[in-house]
Amino acid sequence: MKLEGYKLVFVAVGLIGVLLIASPALAGVIRLPGGEQFSELYLLGPDNMAANYPFNIAAGQNYSVYVGVGNHLGSSAYYVLYVKFGNQTDQMPNATPGTPSILQPLYEYRFSIQDSMNWESPLTFSASNASISGNNSQINTLQINDVAFNVDKPAMWDSNSTTFKYQLLFELWTYNSQSSAISYNNRYVNLSLNLTKTG
Amino acid sequence: MVSRCKLSSVSLLAILALSICFLNVYPAVAQADQTASKLQVASSAVEHAFSAVLDAEKAGANVTSLLDQYNGAADLLAQAENAYRTGDNHTAVNDADAALPIAQQVTTAAQPAQESASTSAQTAFWTTVAFTVEAAIVFVLVLFLVWRRFKRSYINSLSDAKPEVNSQ
Repeated sequence: MKLEGYKLVFVAVGLIGVLLIASPALAGVIRLPGGEQFSELYLLGPDNMAANYPFNIAAGQNYSVYVGVGNHLGSSAYYVLYVKFGNQTDQMPNATPGTPSILQPLYEYRFSIQDSMNWESPLTFSASNASISGNNSQINTLQINDVAFNVDKPAMWDSNSTTFKYQLLFELWTYNSQSSAISYNNRYVNLSLNLTKTG
Repeated sequence: MVSRCKLSSVSLLAILALSICFLNVYPAVAQADQTASKLQVASSAVEHAFSAVLDAEKAGANVTSLLDQYNGAADLLAQAENAYRTGDNHTAVNDADAALPIAQQVTTAAQPAQESASTSAQTAFWTTVAFTVEAAIVFVLVLFLVWRRFKRSYINSLSDAKPEVNSQ
């Protein structure tokens, strides 16, 4: 190899070396795009496993589930988790436009989570003042974590699923510090319930 | 005369009944409005506190303890909202009132944490830049010296290999 060739090798080594040495300082200036940013919402059964979810419920009995949220947004986040109660005709959230259910929230959790961390809480619920008459049923009171709510929710007999179908809906909302508003995060889980006994 | 008296007394009774209704209903409405207003104030304070914590975190502060404290306020606000939905205005007001000072404490504590983290981050950045510049200069100098030595030895090896010309 000629001297000019060696010179090019030295120049290349010099440039690569300078870039490597400057990389810690460059990392402080250049912000590379991170991975996908999202929040997760999950529901577990009474044994903290994805099994044995309550389905057939009797009035006056307590049932428990675990609800959890995972933050993968790249920074801490402030969440509001709404618990809503509906029947088979009440509309669920629509994932395509990202709109929440029009049902009014009954119960709510508020908490913040650091990035890459999870939050989990047990939730106990029971129905009371319930009635079944022919093809009609009604739950008048729903108790969530020892707080009693008047729901007065009727449900017709669903011959397809052979149930008096009720739904316990969990909707995740997040606080946006840019707009200073809490908005629906387009994440929900739904627990289907069948009223079997009025207690 | 008698009918006029009757009319007056009926009117008086009607006004009295309306007043009683108004007096009975109004305190309940006023109380609900007051509770809603307290919840709104607490909610704004909690949101403001979170923004302050987030700013501190973006500046590089460790916000673990601040978020623990913050979650206390957020939980009280949630309990207040839950109580309000059941019509328990007394609990709602108490919980909202309890959440407010905690949120304000978090906001107050987050601001110096953010300033301190910003200062530390700036110092760390400029220290890194200074070390980088120094290290780069040393590296280039060493490489230059190596290059000079290499070049000399290369030329020498070429000179040694060149056949000598003998004068006659």
